[in-house]
Amino acid sequence: MSTGGNGRPNGSLPQTKICQFKLVLLGDMAVGKSSLVLRFVKGQFDEFQETTIGAAFLAQSVCLDDTTVKFEIWDTAGQERYHSLAPMYYRGAQAAIVVFDITKPETFERAKAWVKELQRQASPNIVIALAGNKADLAEKRLVEYEDAQTYAEDIGLLFMETSAKTAMNRKRCQKQTPRISHTLHEIGELTSKIRIPSLPRGAAETKSSANRLAS
Amino acid sequence: MESLEDGPDQGHAKCCVKSSRRMSNGDSAPASGPFVLLLHLRACQEAWAPGAPWTKDGAHAALWGRPAGSFLVLRDSSARPELLCVCVEGASEPVKDFPIRGSGTVVQLIDSHLGFPDLAQLVVFYTLSRDVLPVCLLVPAWMSSLAKPSEKPPPQLGPKSWLCPPSNTSSDSMSVSSVAPGVVMCTIQLTTASGALCIVNPLYVHEHGDDWLSQASVSAQQGAHPDKRRFERRLSKTRPWGGAGLVKNRGISLDEETLQSYSKGPAGAGVGAAVVTTSTGVVLRRSSSSSTSSTSSSSCDLFQRASTGSSVFYSSAPQSPHRVSWVESNMWMSPPPPPSLLHPPSLELDSLSVSSMEEETDSACSSPALSHHSRLLLAGKMKNRLSAVGNALGGLVNPQKRLTNRVQELSRSRSGGFGVALRAFVEQTQRAVVAEAVTSTDILQEVRTSLTGLRDMLMEHTDVSSLMDSMADLPEAELDVMLETSLHKVALKPVSSHLYSCIHSSHSSDGSFQKLQSNQHTLEGRSLEELEGTSGTGVPDPVTMEKIQQRWVSMHGAYSPNTKVHILLKVCKTIYHSMRANAKPGVVFGADDFLPCLTWVLLRSDVVTLQIDTDYMMELLDPMQLQGEGGYYLTSVYSALFYISTFRPRLAVRQLSVEAQQSLSQWHRRRTLHCNQSRRGCHRRTIRRHANTKTSPKDAPGPEGESRDTQVPPGGSEETLQVITDHQSVVEVCMKEQSENHTQEPQPRDNKSPGVRGSGPDAKTGPSQGGWAD
Repeated sequence: MSTGGNGRPNGSLPQTKICQFKLVLLGDMAVGKSSLVLRFVKGQFDEFQETTIGAAFLAQSVCLDDTTVKFEIWDTAGQERYHSLAPMYYRGAQAAIVVFDITKPETFERAKAWVKELQRQASPNIVIALAGNKADLAEKRLVEYEDAQTYAEDIGLLFMETSAKTAMNRKRCQKQTPRISHTLHEIGELTSKIRIPSLPRGAAETKSSANRLAS
Repeated sequence: MESLEDGPDQGHAKCCVKSSRRMSNGDSAPASGPFVLLLHLRACQEAWAPGAPWTKDGAHAALWGRPAGSFLVLRDSSARPELLCVCVEGASEPVKDFPIRGSGTVVQLIDSHLGFPDLAQLVVFYTLSRDVLPVCLLVPAWMSSLAKPSEKPPPQLGPKSWLCPPSNTSSDSMSVSSVAPGVVMCTIQLTTASGALCIVNPLYVHEHGDDWLSQASVSAQQGAHPDKRRFERRLSKTRPWGGAGLVKNRGISLDEETLQSYSKGPAGAGVGAAVVTTSTGVVLRRSSSSSTSSTSSSSCDLFQRASTGSSVFYSSAPQSPHRVSWVESNMWMSPPPPPSLLHPPSLELDSLSVSSMEEETDSACSSPALSHHSRLLLAGKMKNRLSAVGNALGGLVNPQKRLTNRVQELSRSRSGGFGVALRAFVEQTQRAVVAEAVTSTDILQEVRTSLTGLRDMLMEHTDVSSLMDSMADLPEAELDVMLETSLHKVALKPVSSHLYSCIHSSHSSDGSFQKLQSNQHTLEGRSLEELEGTSGTGVPDPVTMEKIQQRWVSMHGAYSPNTKVHILLKVCKTIYHSMRANAKPGVVFGADDFLPCLTWVLLRSDVVTLQIDTDYMMELLDPMQLQGEGGYYLTSVYSALFYISTFRPRLAVRQLSVEAQQSLSQWHRRRTLHCNQSRRGCHRRTIRRHANTKTSPKDAPGPEGESRDTQVPPGGSEETLQVITDHQSVVEVCMKEQSENHTQEPQPRDNKSPGVRGSGPDAKTGPSQGGWAD
């Protein structure tokens, strides 16, 4: 069904708990938000696990110990003029990845503003990851790794640097995918730690338990 | 099929994995079958999907006179598949074209709802199922005779040699065509549980949707191809002159043969039937397709007809497009048992298997005539069996229909509680009018509450619950959707137009429609660049825009919010398609690109009607339906409309007007967030409505003047946020009331009071959640 989602049970893993999390991508225009995640979605599997009609919405599952975390990844438009629309996208999100371009300091500043806004307005327990993209362009780097990392540590964000180049730097890219994957795992773990005990139903549970109970 | 979304939204990649798992309980699958064909098809994709120099006319010429089902795929300038040309052997139109919609992620025939991750998978599927095609696609026999992945088709194969397969002169063709070790013959399974390999139980298809079909196509193929090979082997045994041609030589001479056929074959492009170039096999196939079948070639003819699904005298089934038509292509391929072993038609539903009879097949088929005869018999018997099965399953075929019928009966009942409640609901809703204190949102939320209540009534009704219990193997969420859909028909259909007019008058009286329209006029002429769309992104051309407009019209015509979302997703898909039109392959379009493009499209559409439909969907969709892709694109449309209606050319972009904040807070009150609720959530809604009345100041301020007063200096994002926070403290009050009901709305927190964090909605879900966990 169109909701991409929680409806269909995962027949192969009947014992596994399935959590569904909404993950929102924020960041300035053209910092590589969607390509970053697309690489993860495509990198682990040959094709999309969930074939979607476009890259603005992607779905991907990550397996934790006994839980399958299904991320619904909502991309946002980074243009300043569409800024005011972002709350509609990040409301209810359990996780966010804020992306900036390491070659453009202003995108880092913008990322900080996004983080601030999320902390203020989004779900209180939202897990936020900061991603410095285009790490392959080291010679043009204007945001130091340490600076971003320190910032992230100070306010308790996950941090990673990623490379947007896929074709040119394949070796690096292959290293990159696990990196993103790892971060999503971390997000998944953090999110499920926070969420699973407190989530009543639906998003955090397989349909079988809650809904059967309901009926 | 009333699936909410096109097939492609479900995971195809997953399908493959699943299918192999399914196979294991289906007991009839060689592990390699479909994957091998898929690999081979991919390996020689250039041959059947040639690039630039090939035009439609060229393809038609090349296909002219070929056996029905022969096909070529044409690519556009950017190498995306564009057109599927299929030979249909029609008198007036021997070759038909089917446009392909290809994106980075989904390839599909425009006429069909089925999407595939790539072109090769699409082709494999359509070799097994016609779906919307008049015939199944026909992969040259020499292709399917390549048994192992290691046997690669020659990479330099061209379209013409694809259509004129290399001949086989080597004797090792026998071993090529023989069944690989470990291959189990196709078993005709009619159980729903085993994944129904050869004959698809329509109930199963209905229950499990389109994505299952794509798995099934693979499974079916696994079952089918050994048989095909086996049949070919039988042909080659009995009539070596014919069978040899159907089988590809895998020896080293292959490349030479290919080249040879290619060099000899150019004339074939024009007059395929007349020119016989390379192999006896080709001769046979062509003559059988172009002449009325002589006795000697009838078996081959049969094979061909069977594989194309155009059998005239074996099946009188109408050729309407349906999803399980690949049955046609498979069942006749099963080698026929000798007549003596045929069972009379029976109603055994669990396992009708001919596999046990197959072992005797070879010895029995000592002559072409006998073979032909037995095939006929088998065909007739199987048809009988199938129709018996079909009758038996008839009542089960469409659970949605059964449910809808049942709900409709209940709705008509004068005495039943549901019927009475429903009529009360319809009357009450039709009387509802937008007034000072009552916005259309209130009315819609009232309707949603009633819908949930009615649905609960239905669930408790013994008839419905027993009916639903009988469909217990369907996923819960799917049952919910089905019940909703049934309910929409009896409850929303009579009131939808009244609700539209409520929304309309509500937005007209608060001036938002006027604003939307005037801003539309302001922005109408903006190019995509002016909307900050990324360069290189395409916009829909006039023809596509026309199509989109038609979709909007049909979206407005639909009373069910589920159907509306379905259509909305189709439009979004079309927009993506246009965006990619001139893009380099591999370019990824995210929201940076999509939202401006969507806005561009909306500016050229009837925004008022769209706003009505968006509100309608937002408020009336079942919360479960507001997740996922549907929720995302609905949010995008809502956002784009919001952008248009709040557009202020002179203001710094980041400022939020009071209306914007109001609208946002209204947005916060919307139901999208409550998607985690089960059908028991009506209690929550009642309380929320109560909460809403407390937030009524939302209508209070005048739209124009106030907003100017609260303008924030450019760049004042901090202040802007502060304004939001202050404004939303009202919302916060209401949300605290709601928190008992597991709401997850983002709660604005004041910087000065970090302690709020602990009292946020999430923290509060804790205690209340206990009730659910138990």
